[in-house]
Amino acid sequence: MYLFSKCREAGCSHFAVSDVDANGNLIESADFCYAHTKDKEQLQQKIYSYISSHDKIVGLNASGLTFTNIDLTNKRFYGCDFSNCLFSGIKTSGMRVRLSNFSFSVFTDCNFIKSNVLFSSYSGAKFSHVLFTGSDMIQDNFNGISSFQSSFDDSDLYSSYFIKAKLIDTSFRNCNIKETVFYEISQQNVSFRQSNTNAAIFDKRGSALFTGLQELDVPQGVQKGPSL
Amino acid sequence: MKIYHHLDFAKLTNCYLIVNEISREALIIDPCKISNDLIAQIERDNYKLSAVLITHKHTNHYRGLKTLRKIYDFSVYAADNEISDSTTILKDDGVKKIAGLDVEYFSLPGHSADSIVYKIGNVLFTGDVIFAGTIGSSSCSYTKKHLCNGIKSKILTMNDETIIMPGHGPMTSVGAEKEFNLDLDSQMFV
Repeated sequence: MYLFSKCREAGCSHFAVSDVDANGNLIESADFCYAHTKDKEQLQQKIYSYISSHDKIVGLNASGLTFTNIDLTNKRFYGCDFSNCLFSGIKTSGMRVRLSNFSFSVFTDCNFIKSNVLFSSYSGAKFSHVLFTGSDMIQDNFNGISSFQSSFDDSDLYSSYFIKAKLIDTSFRNCNIKETVFYEISQQNVSFRQSNTNAAIFDKRGSALFTGLQELDVPQGVQKGPSL
Repeated sequence: MKIYHHLDFAKLTNCYLIVNEISREALIIDPCKISNDLIAQIERDNYKLSAVLITHKHTNHYRGLKTLRKIYDFSVYAADNEISDSTTILKDDGVKKIAGLDVEYFSLPGHSADSIVYKIGNVLFTGDVIFAGTIGSSSCSYTKKHLCNGIKSKILTMNDETIIMPGHGPMTSVGAEKEFNLDLDSQMFV
């Protein structure tokens, strides 16, 4: 898990992606990153067949790959790296994810309904027509995401972070957003209907009610927000 | 290497169990509340707990140490000598072989004087130094600047794909923090 070695291409700073050996075993970090892999098609096929033949996938580095119309129903991912990937047309339910990294990936026309995603990162990801409806997405990182016509309805987003997120036509209806952080989001047609917005954190000082009241401002230099 | 994440709901503090799958040794980073799940995980897979690493001396990050002491015999690594009697004191930056794993450590004061960040594989365990989107609280502008400078020189210089597992909140990466951290503004990179 996250013991990836550097790509062997001179000057490349990316980590080498995983490969599958002749016996079908996962090599967590092989020789080259995806961009410098000579036979990308073959690597993609190997990773696809590894995922489809295993229900529990641990320590896979598939950074940069494209996943189209692959069935991830009831798959379990632990400590996997899917950063900078493209997910398109994924229709799945009941996927379980732990400690995995989807940073800066692009998701289009995907259904991840009833997923269970804990302690994972989607930071900087782009979502277009993506459904997470009815999912448990606890303590996940959605900082800097761009979301367009997507839905987190009926989900548990406890202690997830949406700092600097750009949300357009995105809905958080009937969600548990206790301890969920929404600092500096930009929103357009976003619905939080029937969600516990009183338990979420929208402003760094705790409540928008205090915004602009100088007597309640924190002195310069003192850290604002909850003390940890 | 395998990483297991445990969450203490009292202050939403993260505790990590790191396992060396070859030697079956394990280490814990920030033992907050010791749950039955954590003990069961060590016992079920027959791991030998050989070390506990503390990121800084705030009670919610090491309050489970006494409980662990009653069950296991292990070494404690921290920057503060008051955490337990037999603590191995870590100063400045360096590398140690712990539980068969190469553990790099970096001193990063600011949130507290004894804050230390550990790096195992491609994962940084940052305690309260940096979180997803923010940095740790500090008592004055001087310590905040000191913390920012430390983060800039020791964390943000690492590979963008390096994973950050903080003491509170979700995991993130160095690349993500360069882009979206509210406390590390773009002025820092000029």
